[in-house]
Amino acid sequence: MAVWRGSTRNLMKKLSSMLTPASLLHSHATSFGFKEVPEEEKGRMVGNVFSSVAANYDLMNDLMSVGLHRLWKDRLVSKLHPFPGMKHLDVAGGTGDIAFRVLESVNNVSSRALHGDELQDETQIYVCDIIPNMLSVGKKRALERGLGRNRTLLWVEGDAEALSFGDCSMDGYTIAFGIRNVTHIEKALAEAYRVLKRGGRFLCLELSHVELPVLKQLYDYYSFSVIPAMGELVASDRESYQYLVESIRRFPTQETFAGMISDAGFQKVEYENLVGGVVAIHSGLKI
Amino acid sequence: MLRSATRVAFNPVGIRLLASQCSFLRFSSDAHSPTPPLPPHQDPSHQQQQESSASAAGEHKEEESSGKTHSERRGRVQSDYQTEQLRVLQAALPHVVKLGWSERALISGARDVGVSPSIVGTFARKEAALVEYFMDDCLQRLIDIIDSGVDLSNLILSGRLAKLIQIRLEMQAPYISKWPQALSIQAQPMNIPTSFKQRALLIDEIWHASGDQSTDIDWYVKRTVLGGIYSTSEVYMVTDHSPEFRDTWSFLDRRIKDAFDLQKSVQEATYLAEAVGAGMGTSLQGFMKRVFQGSS
Repeated sequence: MAVWRGSTRNLMKKLSSMLTPASLLHSHATSFGFKEVPEEEKGRMVGNVFSSVAANYDLMNDLMSVGLHRLWKDRLVSKLHPFPGMKHLDVAGGTGDIAFRVLESVNNVSSRALHGDELQDETQIYVCDIIPNMLSVGKKRALERGLGRNRTLLWVEGDAEALSFGDCSMDGYTIAFGIRNVTHIEKALAEAYRVLKRGGRFLCLELSHVELPVLKQLYDYYSFSVIPAMGELVASDRESYQYLVESIRRFPTQETFAGMISDAGFQKVEYENLVGGVVAIHSGLKI
Repeated sequence: MLRSATRVAFNPVGIRLLASQCSFLRFSSDAHSPTPPLPPHQDPSHQQQQESSASAAGEHKEEESSGKTHSERRGRVQSDYQTEQLRVLQAALPHVVKLGWSERALISGARDVGVSPSIVGTFARKEAALVEYFMDDCLQRLIDIIDSGVDLSNLILSGRLAKLIQIRLEMQAPYISKWPQALSIQAQPMNIPTSFKQRALLIDEIWHASGDQSTDIDWYVKRTVLGGIYSTSEVYMVTDHSPEFRDTWSFLDRRIKDAFDLQKSVQEATYLAEAVGAGMGTSLQGFMKRVFQGSS
């Protein structure tokens, strides 16, 4: 009898674990663009893509978004409201785009303030990226900007799914155009939640889904016909940009992703669509 | 708070009526018991409308125009983050004297309660959130003072009104050096709906506490007049350097006296108009009579 009960319990456990959405997402195949690839492969393949595009990354960003990505990043940082003394973590921000903006914004705030200087020294901006090539691009740009010796900028090679930072150690967490490339989005969100302090904020800038009828057709044409061709022409790398546009389509919709952020434990989860949903800024608050 | 929310009825209809009915400026000075007066046209549907508009305004405060709050839609309305936000606002108030109604006061407040100052980024309208919190807090304190039985019974109506406005304005005294900034924040177009509503609630509470329970058309007139008196005294107080704002209180007394005098003048004018009208009527009557007599 006991044996029978035990075995049913096992069976139930197996069944329920098969039926929960988490297990479906954690199935052994994951998406790489429109292709299904084994989970272990995705990380490596994404790594290949970004190692190969690192050199032309900024040029391609400017071309593909017609310069708009600068405004989107500005918007992200203005939503973040950096302050002097902040410990900020920018994940997948190897080229330093977000980090430089956060630093600039902190400097502006403290120059307005009369006695924020002692806190100013405590400001730390960690740039975390899994791709060493991207980090070296960022470091080079820091040197060019005269920030080479700046002690507030810290460059860390690391995985968004397994951050090397302590629990409750960060005031802010941003990830711009990065979460799409992470193998397990839930794990990355859980890590973001873990490292944030109480009151800390999670902000995510990501290419998202356009639903407006005419704009959607235009956007589809642009991303499937223009972008890969542009990638071939400028960076002589069609596949990487093909992956880019496909991975955008595979990314959860704004609503679904907001739900995932709530499920990770964040409160006041909101999102803002920019350019009709070409990109969306999601935000959450840890309490 | 809820009690006063049901009592506010500043709607466009009222303001239109106000323009046409200004001659009925009568203050009921015989009322004593502070039972909740109902505004005119108070019926359940009307009340519901106000509540829904009030809650809509509240939501607007919380949500950015294009943003959507997920946890709220999922039914977790009593969420912790709002309590945390209130704690931050409360802790920010002591910093206002030094740092002004500013983001920096909020950041310092967050540090004091041990919450990451990042939370400041979740306030949709930062400085306004702080000022509005202060206004709500003061109103609540005023209600508490009234409920705990401030002695008003030996004062006449004008005295009661002056006393209550003074109690309320005294709450602003510690922040007086930064109050012009607060006024300018409240006057920004984005913040006007909330600041107008808060003032309406406050004036309503003061009228209610001073024992007014009329439900006629004067309801609007009286609140507008008192709102004007309150605001002018508030502005006067900003530049008042007399000890303990003595000049402000005498200014306030004079303005209230003016209002009551105006009421008398309006009444006298009405009587005069009646008398003139009656006189004209008789002379016209006499004239017509003579005309008709002459013709016949």
